Amino acid sequence: MEKFDVIIVGAGLAGLATAYTLAKEGFEPLVLERGDYAGAKNVTGGRIYLNPVRGMFPADFWDKAPLERPVTTEIITMLSGDAATSLRFRAAEFAAPPYQSYTVQRVKFDRWFGNQATCAGAMLVTKSRVDDVIVDGGRVVGVVAGGEELGADVVVACDGALSLVAEKAGLRKPGQPQDYAVGFKQVVELPEKAIEDRFGLPAGEGAAQLFMGALTRGRFGGGFLYTNKASVSLGMVVGIRDMMDGQPPVEPGVLLEEFKQRPEIAPLIEGGEAVEFSAHVIPEAGYNGVGKLAGDGILLAGDAAGFSLNMGLTVRGMEFAIASGVIAAQAIKRAAEKKDYSAGSLSAYRTLLGDSFVLKDLATFREAPHILDNPRFFTYYPELAGRILRDIFSIGIQPKERFGPTVRRHFGLADITGILKDGWKGRKL
Amino acid sequence: MNSIVCVKQTVDLQQIRIRKETREPIMENVPLTIGDIDKNAVEAAVRLKESGGGKVTLVSAGSEDLEETIKEGLAMGADEAVLVVDRKLDGAESFVVATVLAKAIAKVGEYGLILLGEGSADNYSGQVGPRLAELLDLPLVAFARSIEVAGGKLKAVRNMDDCLEAVECDLPAVVTVLSEINEARIPAVTQILKAGRKPKEVLAPADLGADLAALDQKVQTLANIAPLQERKQIMFKEDADTAVAKLLSALQADGAVGRY
Amino acid sequence: MIKPKDMKAMLGVNVFKHSNKPHIKIVPGKEKDERLLKIIYACPAGLYSQNDDGEVTVNLDGCLECGTCRIACGPDVLDWYYPGGGSGVQFRCG
Repeated sequence: MEKFDVIIVGAGLAGLATAYTLAKEGFEPLVLERGDYAGAKNVTGGRIYLNPVRGMFPADFWDKAPLERPVTTEIITMLSGDAATSLRFRAAEFAAPPYQSYTVQRVKFDRWFGNQATCAGAMLVTKSRVDDVIVDGGRVVGVVAGGEELGADVVVACDGALSLVAEKAGLRKPGQPQDYAVGFKQVVELPEKAIEDRFGLPAGEGAAQLFMGALTRGRFGGGFLYTNKASVSLGMVVGIRDMMDGQPPVEPGVLLEEFKQRPEIAPLIEGGEAVEFSAHVIPEAGYNGVGKLAGDGILLAGDAAGFSLNMGLTVRGMEFAIASGVIAAQAIKRAAEKKDYSAGSLSAYRTLLGDSFVLKDLATFREAPHILDNPRFFTYYPELAGRILRDIFSIGIQPKERFGPTVRRHFGLADITGILKDGWKGRKL
Repeated sequence: MNSIVCVKQTVDLQQIRIRKETREPIMENVPLTIGDIDKNAVEAAVRLKESGGGKVTLVSAGSEDLEETIKEGLAMGADEAVLVVDRKLDGAESFVVATVLAKAIAKVGEYGLILLGEGSADNYSGQVGPRLAELLDLPLVAFARSIEVAGGKLKAVRNMDDCLEAVECDLPAVVTVLSEINEARIPAVTQILKAGRKPKEVLAPADLGADLAALDQKVQTLANIAPLQERKQIMFKEDADTAVAKLLSALQADGAVGRY
Repeated sequence: MIKPKDMKAMLGVNVFKHSNKPHIKIVPGKEKDERLLKIIYACPAGLYSQNDDGEVTVNLDGCLECGTCRIACGPDVLDWYYPGGGSGVQFRCG
């Protein structure tokens, strides 16, 4: 059996960050990727927040990275059946370099990142699926790929949200519907100029728009629209449990089509060419979904470790993946110095993660999944906003009422109790 | 017996998208690969080596990405590669490619067979093999579905579509193979990693005394666009028996299915 | 309402590389499992359907390998693994 220092399963952000960092430290990690190239199986909504991970890479790394547009404009839209309430935010701070976030297309980015890792000294083998892990006396000692056994001091499972590698190694149980959402999106190509005109953006800048309300038909979730250089990523995220149990049942394709046909969306993508339809599951359990992160001879990073956080208005995963990959590499380096790859030695990984934003942010927002798992966010509030604004803006035949009574009419005792309850729960955010 | 396999670096055809307005293929960022039938040729050579010894040398001409792309062939079991690298060689016409390959082959040393796919994955002109045989003054066996080397001779079966032809010739010879000759192996991870360390000789056309600019251009590409696909949009909505019967006769009327 | 034809068009722009082995199989005896009936509505690519006998069947052409059915049904209903190296969907945008 051929033996390697480190075998990394999956050329996503976590895997490539692990490989890149280890290679810079003089290791020769082997990355196994089942797709034709790094990124071939990877999907994002798409936006990445750079501030937390910028310093983990050389100064010019992010300047050279093939990102799409810096996000300078944030839009939040609540949709009711026949109304849309939007909040548009742009601050000078977000509109100047270093930009805090960028829209991104994973295939472009991950292919580039894969090249950076190989140039640094990592070995990347594509078109190669890991079929199994080799466990010897409770210790992970390698993997089986394409029928061939490959040994390693340590295996890093970066194989995404399902992490069948972690499952096979006994570190995780199969995921449950209430802990995962499914994201599905289309990429629609449009000329750069059309994107800037339609979204009211200065040349080169980008917008991120999040939607909640009627589009999910009461199901946990929402919609998103990110402007890439010459395309938009338009999609939705819906809880898998709600997708299964929501009544009447409806397919993701139907929800997406309804969303695209809404008058708030249709003109934005008119004349564009849909060039890809993708989907992926997303861990939604937050901190409570983070289980074992290390075993004898194995570490988990990125989505495989459950590092993903839905804070309602911001949805984060990619910077957690990158940071956890970098930190996994640091933990491996320490383990290598001691030549001890036991779970105890590798537990430095969790300690280092605990000192970083990864576990801190996840812990801070540990209640977010419970708070967000509230059907009122997906029906009541978007409807309420639409009703109030409709009354405020409408001029009828009758003399117009003062605004105070107009607004008050929408807040009966039940409404106020409900809002206070949601507010009380939401104080933990 | 040593073999030479000439392979071509092409874009991964399955990854090509057609630009709607112009019907032109979009080539940017499309991964490069070795053509599928070229891999059958490599497989055939590696099997000959496995049964009868010798070494397998890959010879290829293309852009600088070739050093990476060729690893696929080396991982399959070829021993070494001779690469002629020049950006202008990617997509160069058959005459130019055959000329350059012939000069590169002259540097390889002794060999019994030169194998190629029957045609390249992209242009499929099927010319490089025959041209090479002509330039090197060797016998050509095209469209081979099986080959066998014994007693210093090549025995091959050629698939002529409506018949099979068994032929025999002296070595060295040029053979172009059909995809049906074998199933190309998928290399193991360790083989892929070893491929990176196998000897590669990288040459510029000038190293071979080939001046690309001086080679007469014999073919001019006027356009490269996707055919218009018009869908007939005819639906037969009757019960299954009637609909199938109607569909069948419509297909027959169009010559899309036979009348046996 | 999106028709199957439209879903085919949505999936039709993707690159799929053929695999000889099916990577998702319904565990024998589970064809009418409640979770499978629900996945008919949850699979983003609409690959699951019910036949006249009330059994759920899956057609893997167009599988986005998203994992929704694995999460929804679990390993006792679906024998689920990723397609072999170099096969299945190959995203160009992601």
